[in-house]
Amino acid sequence: MKKFRQRVQSLLINSFALPSDVILELPRITVIGQIHVYIENHQGLVTYSDTELKLKVNKGYVQIKGNSFVLKMMLPEEILLEGTITDIKFLSN
Amino acid sequence: MRQVQGTFFTGYVTILIKGNYPELFFQECTKKGITVWNIRKIDQDVCEGNVRLKDIKHLRTIIRGTHYKLNFTNKKGYPFIFNRFIKKRPLLVAIFLSVLLALFLSNILWKVEITGVPKDIEEKIVKQLDEYGIHRGAWIFSLDQPNTIQQKLVEDVPELLWVGVDRRGTTYSLEGVEKLIVKEEEKHGPRNLIATKKGIIKKMYVAKGLPIVQVNDYVEPGDLLVSGQIGTTDQEEESEEEKKERNFDLVAAEGEITAETWYEVKVTSPLEYSYEELSGNKETKYYIQIGEFKFPIWGFGDPSYEQIHYDTKENSINFLKWELPIKIVDTVLSEKVYYKGKRTKEEAIQTGIEQAKSELLLELGKDAKILSEKVLHERMEHGKVKMNIIFTVEENIARVQPIK
Repeated sequence: MKKFRQRVQSLLINSFALPSDVILELPRITVIGQIHVYIENHQGLVTYSDTELKLKVNKGYVQIKGNSFVLKMMLPEEILLEGTITDIKFLSN
Repeated sequence: MRQVQGTFFTGYVTILIKGNYPELFFQECTKKGITVWNIRKIDQDVCEGNVRLKDIKHLRTIIRGTHYKLNFTNKKGYPFIFNRFIKKRPLLVAIFLSVLLALFLSNILWKVEITGVPKDIEEKIVKQLDEYGIHRGAWIFSLDQPNTIQQKLVEDVPELLWVGVDRRGTTYSLEGVEKLIVKEEEKHGPRNLIATKKGIIKKMYVAKGLPIVQVNDYVEPGDLLVSGQIGTTDQEEESEEEKKERNFDLVAAEGEITAETWYEVKVTSPLEYSYEELSGNKETKYYIQIGEFKFPIWGFGDPSYEQIHYDTKENSINFLKWELPIKIVDTVLSEKVYYKGKRTKEEAIQTGIEQAKSELLLELGKDAKILSEKVLHERMEHGKVKMNIIFTVEENIARVQPIK
């Protein structure tokens, strides 16, 4: 059943050119230079401090490091981060 | 950022959260659908962020049952500014009063300007205006419309030929033209008097010139009545030659030749007639008019008149130099009564004659005098009497004709 679903999903992505983030429920991360990171489709904030932001995503975490972080906006599944970004890392469970 | 736009107008507060992992409180908030922005971690266990004013009550339900401590550190936005402003009651009262004062002063007559007439007439006008209630400090609503004032002034100040009344904001400017009584002492060139109408001469008064016709003569239009050439009569028979050589004395003939003239007038007079009259019952209604919409403020319900004559007066309200779109309208509803009557043929003839007489007199001027009238012919047609009337009139038929 799971295999079948995966096949349908890849079929949708490849033949109908649907965006993969929507189909696979993966986060879409938009980085603007070093100053902004815009994360959509996350599943919750885990840690936030001046230098680190860790978000839960489908199958793991996203860790963003840098300094003077400010969360410019927080909506149920979106976060806009402002600051000086140095790393964006994917951590698996 | 669209979600955060316009928050200045709806108002927002900055909250400070204390406790372990304070950022998780904001996470909780967003899950509940509260938008949070500008989140900043100040310390290990202190975090601040902005939320909308209207979300504060949801915030309280979320914080209940958690270990977090909530503090409000800053209030921003229009609702707070407005509240602060509202709290300053004296200021509000002062603003209200000053607007009221400006409104009040804009509707008061400040100046009456009179131009174009000499001082003595100006004083007369001022006195007359005072009587109408137009003076400095008068309430503009209570004054008549400029054209009414214009008419009244011309009637009441006989020296005025014409007066233009114009209201410009709080100023009434009157421009008068004085009636100059010009005496006709001008030098006339030599002239004759000729007849304008056919008739029989009844009276002659010749001030200057040589009368050509006599009383009881019949004249046709264009006939010479009084000649402007004098001084030739005695020697006229002596010789034709001499007459031609001689220089005539030419004068401006002057005089009044009254003759009997005739007019035939056709009149139609109906047997049935109707006219309308105001019965004297009236009611006044007041409205405030904003644009096209009228809002009654006094005088409700319609009077039980069958026919109503409306007389509406609009008073606009000024604010400083502008005319506000608000008007105070008063409407006078007067009862109108239609009368219908019938008359006999004789009465119809009589009224027909009267009507023709007054029309004729209007046409001929006030010097003419109707001596007699005679109905030549009358016939009934569609309930109307049609008549031909001949009038005998006495009037001045002289007209000047310059001699070249």
